[in-house]
Amino acid sequence: MPGLRLLAILQTDCPTCRLITPYLNKLAGNAAPVTAISQDAEDVTREFVRQMDVRFPVERDPGFETSKRLGVVTVPTLYVLDEHDRVVRQEPGFDKNVLNEIAGLLGHEPVATPYDGAPASKPGCISRHLEVQTDDASAAALDLHATRGAAASTVELAGEEDPYEYCFRVFKDGLPVVPPTRERVERMLRAATGHDGREVIARIPPCYGEATVEKIAANAVMAGCVPEMVRVLIPLARAVGDERFNAHGVQATTHFAAPLIIVNGPVRSELNFHSRQNVFSNVARANSSLGRALQLILLNLGGARPDGIDMSALGNPGKFSYCIAENEEENPWEPLHVEHGLQRGQSAVTLFAAEAPHGVSEHNARTARGVLKAITYALATVWSYRNCLGFEALVVLGPEHVHTIARDGFTKQNVRDFLFENTGIPLRCYEGEPGEGVAQRGMYKEITIDGEPCYQKFRAPESIKIVVAGGTAGKFSAVLGSWSAGPRGSQMVTYPI
Amino acid sequence: MPVTLVNPMNEIATQAAPAAPRLAKLQGKTIALLDISKPGGSVFLDRMERLLKERFGVASVIREMKPTFAKPAPAGVLEKIRGADAVIEALAD
Repeated sequence: MPGLRLLAILQTDCPTCRLITPYLNKLAGNAAPVTAISQDAEDVTREFVRQMDVRFPVERDPGFETSKRLGVVTVPTLYVLDEHDRVVRQEPGFDKNVLNEIAGLLGHEPVATPYDGAPASKPGCISRHLEVQTDDASAAALDLHATRGAAASTVELAGEEDPYEYCFRVFKDGLPVVPPTRERVERMLRAATGHDGREVIARIPPCYGEATVEKIAANAVMAGCVPEMVRVLIPLARAVGDERFNAHGVQATTHFAAPLIIVNGPVRSELNFHSRQNVFSNVARANSSLGRALQLILLNLGGARPDGIDMSALGNPGKFSYCIAENEEENPWEPLHVEHGLQRGQSAVTLFAAEAPHGVSEHNARTARGVLKAITYALATVWSYRNCLGFEALVVLGPEHVHTIARDGFTKQNVRDFLFENTGIPLRCYEGEPGEGVAQRGMYKEITIDGEPCYQKFRAPESIKIVVAGGTAGKFSAVLGSWSAGPRGSQMVTYPI
Repeated sequence: MPVTLVNPMNEIATQAAPAAPRLAKLQGKTIALLDISKPGGSVFLDRMERLLKERFGVASVIREMKPTFAKPAPAGVLEKIRGADAVIEALAD
């Protein structure tokens, strides 16, 4: 609509305001009339404008007069105003759909895409004039949303220094790494078409180190990745920074969980990912090096080291490298990334906070129900046998099991429903010794499995994720328990490549 | 030929925050008890609240709870305990 303009009310230390600013920059870059009002002092506002590379006019709000007149409760709040400065639309917080609708109102293309690493929405902070006044000076803002980071420093090794020993000594990883020489890192940066080395792709929890393309490349070189792997590493870093995955918790927990990467789509053959026999093992450079690159990024940029912030009591061998590709060729159903809304021809990476694989052998069952029944008994042990709350599981079906199941006409949803309806813990297990999961039994759902009263192990069929992987010889599948799951823990995230 | 390596580590300087000054006495103070919502946390904090009031004469106790132990405390929770003289956080399990 002609004559409309956008006014944003911002604070310099509000994370949501920092999150929304690059999108406002995009709108302003499209010549849309965008202005903002900062509720903060001139010096911090000037610093905010510099840090965030703000490309629209920012005014101040002395005495919060404008904020009070508009009735601002939350920052950011976006106001769409007409030519008489009447409010046409008012939107508090950050919401990608809202941003795109406003872009449309201003006659522009959408500015927010689903897979740019930012959450779909995020609530804001309370407006400054409504804050409880305290004696504290406002804390310096963490620079969490700048899009351009610092160039990595370099070190020139003395002639007699063995680069491998230098890497052991300084980067402190227990395994040898490929020394990240300037030449190797630049070779990978040249493969990162459309990206600048200093572009910040994500901030890696829990210490929120900047994953610039250059830092990602340095770690990927160390892990042994080929330069072309950078096109997988960039969406992978975005997925790690996705608040739904909650790497902050996954990386600091005392639990067993480690981020498992699942690769889907044409990139599997393009970069030689392996999805068949030994899929969880050291079978292919692509799987091993991508999994290891993720671990090095988490350690070196995220800062959760296994002798420090990563508090896992027993750890997980997956923390060396944990990356599989789905065997889509042996999968009669839709592969994982298609379930998550992507096209089959689109490549994708998925992250799941997983325990180590628990093998299920079933060589004698001849029916879908028989095979799946065996898997329910492994599913029943996820987390702790009597606990029926707050976790998920990934079932990796081997091709031989898949053939038996599909031959009986089961769809993927049938498989999920069967596992959901047939996995339970008998009520008799809750008599006797108290223990984990017993006190919560009032919240469990009682069902009957084979005539025996049980508590249903999972909360919903969707708590059971299914992929097909592994070799065609051997009637095996695997169950991988999750970390604390759902919006209060870690959610599986899928990013297109 | 000299070898030049690109630093793969996080280079953003972090500052160690000094620990808050210890309270000389608890008498008359406001103490916040933060439950991170792990099982058993409330048992520990209920007992702490009683002890603080009965034995140490604290003026008031603020009880707050994180919605989940798996994520950092949201700003709203921190705002509610900001005025306290000291905070006791219960990790529990």
